[in-house]
Amino acid sequence: MSAPVQRLDVRGIVREFSGGAGVHGIDLAIAPGEIHAIVGLNGAGKTTLMRLVLGMLRPEAGTVSIDGVHLHDAPAALWAGVGQLVEHPLAYAELDGRSNLVVAARLHGIGRRHAGEVADRAIAEFDLARYAEVRASRLSLGNLQRVGLAAALQHEPRLVVLDEPTNALDPAGVILLREALLRRAAAGAGILVSSHHLDEVARIADRITVINAGRAIGALDPAGIDLERAFFAMLHADDLERPAA
Amino acid sequence: MSALFGTAVAVEAQKALASRVMISIAALVVGGIAVLSVGMLLGAATGDEQILAKMGPLAGVGGWAGLVGVVAQITAAGGVVAFGVALSWMFGREFADGTVGGLFALPVRRSTIALAKLTVYFMWAVGVAILLAAVVAVIGLALGYGSTDATGLGELVRIPVLVVLTALLCVPAAWVATIGRGLLPGIGATVVLVVIAQVFAVIGIGEWVPLVAPALWAITPDAVPVASLFLVPSVPLAFGVLCALAWSRLQLDR
Repeated sequence: MSAPVQRLDVRGIVREFSGGAGVHGIDLAIAPGEIHAIVGLNGAGKTTLMRLVLGMLRPEAGTVSIDGVHLHDAPAALWAGVGQLVEHPLAYAELDGRSNLVVAARLHGIGRRHAGEVADRAIAEFDLARYAEVRASRLSLGNLQRVGLAAALQHEPRLVVLDEPTNALDPAGVILLREALLRRAAAGAGILVSSHHLDEVARIADRITVINAGRAIGALDPAGIDLERAFFAMLHADDLERPAA
Repeated sequence: MSALFGTAVAVEAQKALASRVMISIAALVVGGIAVLSVGMLLGAATGDEQILAKMGPLAGVGGWAGLVGVVAQITAAGGVVAFGVALSWMFGREFADGTVGGLFALPVRRSTIALAKLTVYFMWAVGVAILLAAVVAVIGLALGYGSTDATGLGELVRIPVLVVLTALLCVPAAWVATIGRGLLPGIGATVVLVVIAQVFAVIGIGEWVPLVAPALWAITPDAVPVASLFLVPSVPLAFGVLCALAWSRLQLDR
Protein backbone atom coordinates (compact mmCIF):
# COMPACT_ATOMS: atom_id res chain seq x y z
CA MET A 1 0.00 0.00 0.00
CA SER A 2 1.44 3.41 -0.97
CA ALA A 3 1.96 6.15 1.62
CA PRO A 4 -0.80 8.78 1.78
CA VAL A 5 -0.11 11.96 -0.17
CA GLN A 6 1.06 14.73 2.10
CA ARG A 7 -0.57 18.12 1.87
CA LEU A 8 2.95 19.56 2.01
CA ASP A 9 6.24 17.76 1.56
CA VAL A 10 9.47 19.77 1.82
CA ARG A 11 12.75 17.92 1.23
CA GLY A 12 16.25 19.26 1.71
CA ILE A 13 15.23 22.80 0.91
CA VAL A 14 18.08 25.31 0.69
CA ARG A 15 18.11 29.05 0.10
CA GLU A 16 21.03 30.98 1.47
CA PHE A 17 21.57 34.72 1.72
CA SER A 18 24.79 36.60 2.14
CA GLY A 19 25.95 36.62 5.75
CA GLY A 20 24.83 33.04 6.33
CA ALA A 21 21.11 33.74 6.80
CA GLY A 22 18.47 31.63 5.07
CA VAL A 23 17.40 28.02 5.13
CA HIS A 24 20.12 25.36 4.98
CA GLY A 25 18.38 22.07 4.24
CA ILE A 26 15.03 21.57 5.94
CA ASP A 27 12.69 18.58 5.63
CA LEU A 28 9.09 19.09 6.65
CA ALA A 29 5.82 17.28 5.99
CA ILE A 30 2.20 17.99 6.76
CA ALA A 31 -0.45 15.30 6.47
CA PRO A 32 -4.10 16.04 5.68
CA GLY A 33 -5.82 17.21 8.85
CA GLU A 34 -2.54 18.04 10.58
CA ILE A 35 -1.53 21.35 12.17
CA HIS A 36 2.24 21.68 12.09
CA ALA A 37 3.75 24.61 13.97
CA ILE A 38 7.26 25.92 13.43
CA VAL A 39 8.82 27.89 16.23
CA GLY A 40 12.08 29.74 16.46
CA LEU A 41 13.66 33.01 17.36
CA ASN A 42 13.58 36.03 15.05
CA GLY A 43 15.79 35.39 12.03
CA ALA A 44 15.73 31.61 12.46
CA GLY A 45 14.44 31.08 8.91
CA LYS A 46 10.71 30.52 9.50
CA THR A 47 9.54 33.18 7.06
CA THR A 48 12.12 32.16 4.46
CA LEU A 49 10.89 28.56 4.72
CA MET A 50 7.29 29.70 4.21
CA ARG A 51 8.28 31.86 1.26
CA LEU A 52 9.99 28.86 -0.33
CA VAL A 53 6.86 26.76 0.19
CA LEU A 54 4.72 29.44 -1.47
CA GLY A 55 6.96 30.14 -4.46
CA MET A 56 7.91 33.59 -3.21
CA LEU A 57 11.53 32.43 -3.28
CA ARG A 58 13.13 29.83 -5.52
CA PRO A 59 15.19 27.19 -3.71
CA GLU A 60 18.86 26.60 -4.53
CA ALA A 61 18.38 22.93 -3.70
CA GLY A 62 15.62 20.65 -2.51
CA THR A 63 11.98 20.25 -3.46
CA VAL A 64 8.56 21.38 -2.36
CA SER A 65 5.46 19.32 -3.19
CA ILE A 66 1.85 20.26 -2.54
CA ASP A 67 -0.64 17.39 -2.68
CA GLY A 68 2.08 15.34 -4.37
CA VAL A 69 2.79 17.88 -7.13
CA HIS A 70 6.29 19.39 -7.34
CA LEU A 71 6.16 23.17 -7.35
CA HIS A 72 8.43 23.56 -10.35
CA ASP A 73 5.95 21.75 -12.58
CA ALA A 74 2.79 22.71 -10.75
CA PRO A 75 -0.07 24.16 -12.80
CA ALA A 76 -1.30 27.56 -11.62
CA ALA A 77 -4.60 25.91 -10.69
CA LEU A 78 -2.83 24.06 -7.85
CA TRP A 79 -2.71 27.33 -5.93
CA ALA A 80 -6.50 27.55 -5.79
CA GLY A 81 -6.23 25.03 -2.96
CA VAL A 82 -3.72 27.08 -0.95
CA GLY A 83 -4.35 29.94 1.46
CA GLN A 84 -1.56 32.03 2.92
CA LEU A 85 -0.72 35.06 4.94
CA VAL A 86 2.98 35.83 5.19
CA GLU A 87 3.75 39.24 6.66
CA HIS A 88 1.30 41.74 5.07
CA PRO A 89 -2.40 40.92 4.66
CA LEU A 90 -3.79 41.10 1.13
CA ALA A 91 -5.92 44.16 1.89
CA TYR A 92 -5.95 47.22 -0.35
CA ALA A 93 -6.27 50.53 1.49
CA GLU A 94 -8.82 51.95 -0.94
CA LEU A 95 -11.22 48.98 -0.68
CA ASP A 96 -13.53 48.26 2.23
CA GLY A 97 -13.39 45.02 4.21
CA ARG A 98 -15.97 43.18 2.13
CA SER A 99 -14.54 44.33 -1.21
CA ASN A 100 -11.10 43.14 -0.13
CA LEU A 101 -12.54 39.73 0.68
CA VAL A 102 -14.38 39.57 -2.65
CA VAL A 103 -11.15 40.50 -4.46
CA ALA A 104 -9.22 37.81 -2.57
CA ALA A 105 -11.91 35.21 -3.30
CA ARG A 106 -11.83 36.03 -6.99
CA LEU A 107 -8.03 35.89 -7.13
CA HIS A 108 -8.28 32.43 -5.55
CA GLY A 109 -10.44 31.30 -8.43
CA ILE A 110 -13.94 31.76 -6.96
CA GLY A 111 -16.38 32.89 -9.66
CA ARG A 112 -18.02 36.31 -9.60
CA ARG A 113 -21.41 34.88 -8.63
CA HIS A 114 -20.13 33.08 -5.55
CA ALA A 115 -17.40 35.46 -4.38
CA GLY A 116 -19.92 37.63 -2.51
CA GLU A 117 -21.36 34.65 -0.61
CA VAL A 118 -17.86 33.43 0.26
CA ALA A 119 -16.92 36.90 1.55
CA ASP A 120 -20.14 37.14 3.60
CA ARG A 121 -19.44 33.78 5.24
CA ALA A 122 -15.91 34.94 6.10
CA ILE A 123 -17.27 38.20 7.53
CA ALA A 124 -19.51 36.17 9.83
CA GLU A 125 -16.77 33.68 10.76
CA PHE A 126 -14.23 36.38 11.64
CA ASP A 127 -16.76 38.77 13.20
CA LEU A 128 -16.02 41.50 10.68
CA ALA A 129 -19.59 42.79 10.10
CA ARG A 130 -18.80 46.18 11.68
CA TYR A 131 -15.87 46.65 9.32
CA ALA A 132 -17.37 45.25 6.14
CA GLU A 133 -17.99 48.72 4.71
CA VAL A 134 -14.99 50.45 6.26
CA ARG A 135 -12.00 51.19 4.01
CA ALA A 136 -8.95 49.12 4.92
CA SER A 137 -6.96 52.35 5.32
CA ARG A 138 -9.13 53.12 8.35
CA LEU A 139 -8.91 49.69 10.00
CA SER A 140 -6.74 49.02 13.04
CA LEU A 141 -3.80 46.65 12.58
CA GLY A 142 -5.71 43.91 14.39
CA ASN A 143 -8.78 44.23 12.19
CA LEU A 144 -6.58 44.41 9.10
CA GLN A 145 -5.01 41.14 10.22
CA ARG A 146 -8.48 39.63 10.64
CA VAL A 147 -9.35 40.66 7.08
CA GLY A 148 -6.08 39.12 5.87
CA LEU A 149 -6.72 35.86 7.72
CA ALA A 150 -10.29 35.73 6.42
CA ALA A 151 -8.91 36.31 2.89
CA ALA A 152 -6.44 33.45 3.35
CA LEU A 153 -8.99 30.96 4.71
CA GLN A 154 -12.36 31.83 3.15
CA HIS A 155 -11.92 29.71 0.02
CA GLU A 156 -11.44 26.58 2.17
CA PRO A 157 -7.88 25.80 1.07
CA ARG A 158 -6.44 22.29 1.41
CA LEU A 159 -3.10 23.76 2.51
CA VAL A 160 -2.88 26.78 4.81
CA VAL A 161 0.40 28.64 5.45
CA LEU A 162 0.32 31.40 8.09
CA ASP A 163 3.32 33.35 9.36
CA GLU A 164 2.82 34.71 12.88
CA PRO A 165 -0.96 34.85 12.33
CA THR A 166 -1.80 36.14 15.81
CA ASN A 167 0.26 39.31 15.29
CA ALA A 168 -1.85 42.31 16.34
CA LEU A 169 -4.91 40.16 17.09
CA ASP A 170 -6.85 40.78 20.30
CA PRO A 171 -7.70 37.77 22.51
CA ALA A 172 -11.08 37.38 20.81
CA GLY A 173 -9.35 37.34 17.44
CA VAL A 174 -6.89 34.70 18.64
CA ILE A 175 -9.77 32.44 19.68
CA LEU A 176 -11.58 33.00 16.36
CA LEU A 177 -8.43 32.08 14.47
CA ARG A 178 -7.77 29.00 16.60
CA GLU A 179 -11.30 27.73 16.00
CA ALA A 180 -11.10 28.53 12.28
CA LEU A 181 -7.88 26.50 11.96
CA LEU A 182 -9.21 23.56 14.00
CA ARG A 183 -12.35 23.45 11.81
CA ARG A 184 -10.29 23.40 8.63
CA ALA A 185 -7.91 20.77 9.94
CA ALA A 186 -10.90 18.63 10.93
CA ALA A 187 -12.10 18.98 7.33
CA GLY A 188 -8.76 17.64 6.03
CA ALA A 189 -6.67 20.74 5.45
CA GLY A 190 -2.96 20.68 6.25
CA ILE A 191 -1.85 23.72 8.19
CA LEU A 192 1.63 25.20 8.59
CA VAL A 193 1.81 27.98 11.14
CA SER A 194 4.73 29.85 12.65
CA SER A 195 4.78 31.54 16.00
CA HIS A 196 6.93 32.95 18.76
CA HIS A 197 4.29 32.04 21.30
CA LEU A 198 4.80 28.49 22.48
CA ASP A 199 1.65 28.29 24.63
CA GLU A 200 -0.46 29.49 21.77
CA VAL A 201 0.76 26.91 19.25
CA ALA A 202 0.71 24.14 21.84
CA ARG A 203 -3.06 24.56 22.12
CA ILE A 204 -3.73 23.60 18.51
CA ALA A 205 -0.61 22.04 16.96
CA ASP A 206 -0.26 18.32 16.35
CA ARG A 207 3.47 18.76 15.84
CA ILE A 208 5.92 21.49 16.75
CA THR A 209 9.23 21.75 14.89
CA VAL A 210 11.98 23.99 16.25
CA ILE A 211 13.89 26.00 13.66
CA ASN A 212 17.27 27.49 14.49
CA ALA A 213 19.85 29.09 12.18
CA GLY A 214 18.00 27.86 9.10
CA ARG A 215 17.70 24.22 10.12
CA ALA A 216 15.08 22.06 11.82
CA ILE A 217 16.79 21.03 15.04
CA GLY A 218 14.11 18.99 16.75
CA ALA A 219 10.51 18.67 17.84
CA LEU A 220 8.60 19.73 20.92
CA ASP A 221 5.77 17.69 22.37
CA PRO A 222 2.63 19.90 22.23
CA ALA A 223 1.40 18.10 25.36
CA GLY A 224 4.69 18.74 27.17
CA ILE A 225 4.65 20.51 30.51
CA ASP A 226 7.40 23.12 30.20
CA LEU A 227 7.68 23.91 26.51
CA GLU A 228 9.66 27.07 27.05
CA ARG A 229 12.36 25.29 28.98
CA ALA A 230 12.57 22.49 26.43
CA PHE A 231 12.67 25.04 23.59
CA PHE A 232 15.57 27.02 25.02
CA ALA A 233 17.44 23.88 26.01
CA MET A 234 17.21 22.70 22.40
CA LEU A 235 18.41 26.06 21.04
CA HIS A 236 21.26 26.19 23.51
CA ALA A 237 22.45 22.68 22.67
CA ASP A 238 22.27 23.47 18.95
CA ASP A 239 24.17 26.73 19.32
CA LEU A 240 26.92 24.91 21.25
CA GLU A 241 27.09 22.09 18.76
CA ARG A 242 26.97 24.12 15.53
CA PRO A 243 30.33 25.93 15.47
CA ALA A 244 32.08 22.58 16.06
CA ALA A 245 30.21 20.91 13.19
CA MET B 1 -6.17 31.85 -19.08
CA SER B 2 -8.91 34.04 -20.57
CA ALA B 3 -11.31 33.60 -17.63
CA LEU B 4 -8.58 34.39 -15.12
CA PHE B 5 -7.35 37.31 -17.21
CA GLY B 6 -10.89 38.67 -17.03
CA THR B 7 -10.83 38.18 -13.27
CA ALA B 8 -7.50 40.00 -12.97
CA VAL B 9 -8.77 42.88 -15.12
CA ALA B 10 -11.94 43.14 -13.01
CA VAL B 11 -9.88 43.20 -9.80
CA GLU B 12 -7.44 45.81 -11.12
CA ALA B 13 -10.31 47.93 -12.44
CA GLN B 14 -12.03 47.77 -9.04
CA LYS B 15 -8.82 48.91 -7.32
CA ALA B 16 -8.29 51.75 -9.83
CA LEU B 17 -11.89 52.96 -9.55
CA ALA B 18 -11.87 52.85 -5.74
CA SER B 19 -8.56 54.70 -5.51
CA ARG B 20 -8.38 58.47 -5.54
CA VAL B 21 -5.01 58.30 -7.29
CA MET B 22 -6.20 57.50 -10.81
CA ILE B 23 -9.17 59.88 -10.66
CA SER B 24 -6.95 62.66 -9.30
CA ILE B 25 -4.36 62.19 -12.02
CA ALA B 26 -7.08 62.22 -14.71
CA ALA B 27 -8.54 65.43 -13.26
CA LEU B 28 -5.09 67.04 -13.03
CA VAL B 29 -4.21 66.08 -16.61
CA VAL B 30 -7.44 67.33 -18.13
CA GLY B 31 -7.93 70.36 -15.88
CA GLY B 32 -4.26 71.34 -15.84
CA ILE B 33 -3.79 71.12 -19.59
CA ALA B 34 -7.02 73.02 -20.23
CA VAL B 35 -6.10 75.87 -17.86
CA LEU B 36 -2.51 76.12 -19.14
CA SER B 37 -3.64 76.08 -22.78
CA VAL B 38 -6.20 78.84 -22.28
CA GLY B 39 -3.58 80.80 -20.32
CA MET B 40 -1.04 80.49 -23.14
CA LEU B 41 -3.58 81.50 -25.79
CA LEU B 42 -4.66 84.52 -23.76
CA GLY B 43 -1.02 85.44 -23.13
CA ALA B 44 -0.24 85.14 -26.85
CA ALA B 45 -3.31 87.26 -27.71
CA THR B 46 -1.98 90.05 -25.51
CA GLY B 47 1.39 89.83 -27.26
CA ASP B 48 3.39 88.47 -24.30
CA GLU B 49 6.80 87.86 -25.88
CA GLN B 50 7.89 85.14 -23.48
CA ILE B 51 4.77 83.08 -24.22
CA LEU B 52 5.08 83.70 -27.94
CA ALA B 53 8.67 82.45 -27.75
CA LYS B 54 7.58 79.28 -25.91
CA MET B 55 4.89 78.64 -28.54
CA GLY B 56 7.52 78.68 -31.29
CA PRO B 57 6.01 77.89 -34.70
CA LEU B 58 2.51 77.85 -33.17
CA ALA B 59 2.65 81.55 -32.38
CA GLY B 60 1.12 82.63 -35.63
CA VAL B 61 -1.38 79.79 -35.95
CA GLY B 62 -4.95 80.56 -34.98
CA GLY B 63 -8.25 78.68 -34.82
CA TRP B 64 -8.53 75.00 -33.98
CA ALA B 65 -5.04 74.22 -35.28
CA GLY B 66 -3.49 76.77 -32.92
CA LEU B 67 -5.50 75.57 -29.93
CA VAL B 68 -4.74 71.90 -30.63
CA GLY B 69 -1.06 72.71 -31.16
CA VAL B 70 -0.80 74.44 -27.79
CA VAL B 71 -2.64 71.58 -26.06
CA ALA B 72 -0.32 69.11 -27.76
CA GLN B 73 2.76 71.04 -26.68
CA ILE B 74 1.70 70.88 -23.02
CA THR B 75 0.43 67.30 -23.22
CA ALA B 76 3.67 66.03 -24.75
CA ALA B 77 5.68 66.78 -21.58
CA GLY B 78 3.00 66.96 -18.87
CA GLY B 79 1.25 63.84 -20.12
CA VAL B 80 4.40 61.73 -19.81
CA VAL B 81 4.82 62.80 -16.19
CA ALA B 82 1.16 62.13 -15.33
CA PHE B 83 1.00 58.75 -17.06
CA GLY B 84 4.37 57.69 -15.68
CA VAL B 85 3.24 58.50 -12.15
CA ALA B 86 -0.02 56.59 -12.70
CA LEU B 87 1.85 53.49 -13.89
CA SER B 88 4.42 53.78 -11.12
CA TRP B 89 1.59 53.83 -8.60
CA MET B 90 -0.27 50.89 -10.16
CA PHE B 91 2.82 48.68 -10.11
CA GLY B 92 4.96 50.14 -7.34
CA ARG B 93 2.20 50.37 -4.74
CA GLU B 94 2.04 46.56 -4.46
CA PHE B 95 5.60 46.70 -3.10
CA ALA B 96 5.18 49.89 -1.07
CA ASP B 97 1.96 48.63 0.56
CA GLY B 98 3.29 45.08 1.04
CA THR B 99 0.35 43.58 -0.87
CA VAL B 100 2.69 41.91 -3.37
CA GLY B 101 3.03 38.91 -1.03
CA GLY B 102 -0.69 38.27 -1.44
CA LEU B 103 -0.24 38.06 -5.21
CA PHE B 104 1.82 34.86 -4.85
CA ALA B 105 0.35 31.37 -4.49
CA LEU B 106 -2.71 32.24 -6.56
CA PRO B 107 -4.28 30.44 -9.52
CA VAL B 108 -4.05 33.78 -11.35
CA ARG B 109 -0.46 34.05 -12.59
CA ARG B 110 1.48 37.16 -11.64
CA SER B 111 2.26 37.80 -15.32
CA THR B 112 -1.51 37.80 -15.94
CA ILE B 113 -1.93 40.34 -13.13
CA ALA B 114 0.78 42.53 -14.68
CA LEU B 115 -0.92 42.42 -18.09
CA ALA B 116 -4.27 43.14 -16.42
CA LYS B 117 -2.75 46.22 -14.80
CA LEU B 118 -1.51 47.42 -18.21
CA THR B 119 -4.94 46.74 -19.74
CA VAL B 120 -6.75 48.76 -17.06
CA TYR B 121 -4.16 51.52 -17.44
CA PHE B 122 -4.75 51.59 -21.20
CA MET B 123 -8.53 51.77 -20.75
CA TRP B 124 -8.09 54.60 -18.24
CA ALA B 125 -5.76 56.45 -20.66
CA VAL B 126 -8.35 56.16 -23.45
CA GLY B 127 -10.89 57.68 -21.06
CA VAL B 128 -8.50 60.55 -20.27
CA ALA B 129 -7.91 61.06 -24.02
CA ILE B 130 -11.62 61.31 -24.79
CA LEU B 131 -12.24 63.60 -21.82
CA LEU B 132 -9.39 65.95 -22.77
CA ALA B 133 -10.57 66.10 -26.38
CA ALA B 134 -14.09 66.94 -25.18
CA VAL B 135 -12.83 69.68 -22.86
CA VAL B 136 -10.66 71.19 -25.63
CA ALA B 137 -13.68 71.10 -27.96
CA VAL B 138 -15.69 73.05 -25.40
CA ILE B 139 -12.83 75.57 -25.03
CA GLY B 140 -12.62 75.97 -28.81
CA LEU B 141 -16.35 76.50 -29.12
CA ALA B 142 -16.23 79.01 -26.25
CA LEU B 143 -13.49 80.91 -28.11
CA GLY B 144 -15.81 81.08 -31.12
CA TYR B 145 -13.90 78.67 -33.40
CA GLY B 146 -17.21 76.91 -34.14
CA SER B 147 -18.15 79.75 -36.47
CA THR B 148 -14.79 81.33 -37.33
CA ASP B 149 -12.96 78.09 -38.13
CA ALA B 150 -15.63 75.42 -38.66
CA THR B 151 -13.50 73.49 -41.15
CA GLY B 152 -10.63 73.19 -38.67
CA LEU B 153 -12.62 71.07 -36.20
CA GLY B 154 -10.95 67.91 -37.53
CA GLU B 155 -7.67 69.06 -35.95
CA LEU B 156 -9.14 67.91 -32.62
CA VAL B 157 -8.50 64.27 -33.49
CA ARG B 158 -4.80 64.85 -32.87
CA ILE B 159 -5.46 65.20 -29.13
CA PRO B 160 -6.82 61.74 -28.27
CA VAL B 161 -4.23 60.17 -30.60
CA LEU B 162 -1.40 62.02 -28.84
CA VAL B 163 -2.74 61.22 -25.36
CA VAL B 164 -3.06 57.49 -26.08
CA LEU B 165 0.36 57.31 -27.78
CA THR B 166 1.93 59.23 -24.87
CA ALA B 167 0.33 56.80 -22.42
CA LEU B 168 1.73 53.85 -24.39
CA LEU B 169 5.22 55.36 -24.31
CA CYS B 170 5.19 55.40 -20.49
CA VAL B 171 5.03 51.60 -20.08
CA PRO B 172 8.80 51.45 -19.29
CA ALA B 173 7.91 53.15 -15.96
CA ALA B 174 5.87 50.06 -15.01
CA TRP B 175 8.83 47.79 -15.67
CA VAL B 176 11.22 49.98 -13.71
CA ALA B 177 8.74 50.23 -10.80
CA THR B 178 8.66 46.41 -10.79
CA ILE B 179 12.37 45.76 -10.88
CA GLY B 180 12.98 48.68 -8.50
CA ARG B 181 10.22 47.39 -6.15
CA GLY B 182 8.45 50.67 -5.58
CA LEU B 183 6.95 53.91 -6.83
CA LEU B 184 10.08 56.06 -6.82
CA PRO B 185 12.05 54.04 -9.37
CA GLY B 186 9.07 54.27 -11.73
CA ILE B 187 8.82 58.01 -11.24
CA GLY B 188 12.57 58.28 -11.80
CA ALA B 189 12.17 56.38 -15.08
CA THR B 190 9.42 58.80 -16.07
CA VAL B 191 11.76 61.75 -15.56
CA VAL B 192 14.35 59.98 -17.71
CA LEU B 193 11.72 59.48 -20.45
CA VAL B 194 10.94 63.20 -20.44
CA VAL B 195 14.64 64.11 -20.59
CA ILE B 196 15.33 61.67 -23.44
CA ALA B 197 12.38 63.02 -25.41
CA GLN B 198 13.54 66.61 -24.88
CA VAL B 199 17.12 65.83 -25.90
CA PHE B 200 16.00 64.10 -29.11
CA ALA B 201 13.61 66.95 -29.88
CA VAL B 202 16.31 69.59 -29.30
CA ILE B 203 18.91 67.87 -31.48
CA GLY B 204 16.24 67.49 -34.13
CA ILE B 205 16.32 63.75 -34.84
CA GLY B 206 13.02 62.91 -33.20
CA GLU B 207 10.73 62.21 -36.11
CA TRP B 208 11.61 58.51 -36.24
CA VAL B 209 12.19 58.11 -32.49
CA PRO B 210 9.04 56.61 -30.90
CA LEU B 211 9.51 58.65 -27.72
CA VAL B 212 9.38 61.94 -29.63
CA ALA B 213 7.46 61.36 -32.86
CA PRO B 214 3.89 61.62 -31.43
CA ALA B 215 4.58 64.98 -29.81
CA LEU B 216 6.26 66.42 -32.91
CA TRP B 217 3.41 65.11 -35.06
CA ALA B 218 0.71 66.53 -32.81
CA ILE B 219 2.33 69.98 -32.67
CA THR B 220 3.30 70.22 -36.35
CA PRO B 221 1.68 67.33 -38.27
CA ASP B 222 3.39 68.10 -41.57
CA ALA B 223 6.89 67.76 -40.06
CA VAL B 224 6.51 64.09 -39.16
CA PRO B 225 5.65 61.15 -41.44
CA VAL B 226 2.55 59.40 -40.08
CA ALA B 227 4.33 56.08 -40.63
CA SER B 228 6.68 56.92 -37.78
CA LEU B 229 3.72 56.80 -35.38
CA PHE B 230 3.38 53.10 -36.15
CA LEU B 231 6.72 52.55 -34.41
CA VAL B 232 5.25 53.74 -31.11
CA PRO B 233 3.60 50.40 -30.15
CA SER B 234 7.05 48.77 -30.19
CA VAL B 235 7.80 50.49 -26.86
CA PRO B 236 4.75 49.24 -24.87
CA LEU B 237 5.02 45.83 -26.53
CA ALA B 238 8.67 45.38 -25.58
CA PHE B 239 8.27 46.74 -22.07
CA GLY B 240 4.91 45.01 -21.58
CA VAL B 241 6.65 41.68 -22.26
CA LEU B 242 9.50 42.67 -19.91
CA CYS B 243 6.91 43.58 -17.26
CA ALA B 244 5.11 40.25 -17.57
CA LEU B 245 8.45 38.42 -17.38
CA ALA B 246 9.57 40.43 -14.34
CA TRP B 247 6.32 39.64 -12.51
CA SER B 248 6.50 36.00 -13.52
CA ARG B 249 10.09 35.67 -12.24
CA LEU B 250 9.53 37.84 -9.18
CA GLN B 251 11.04 36.76 -5.85
CA LEU B 252 10.60 38.40 -2.47
CA ASP B 253 14.32 38.38 -1.82
CA ARG B 254 14.91 42.04 -0.93
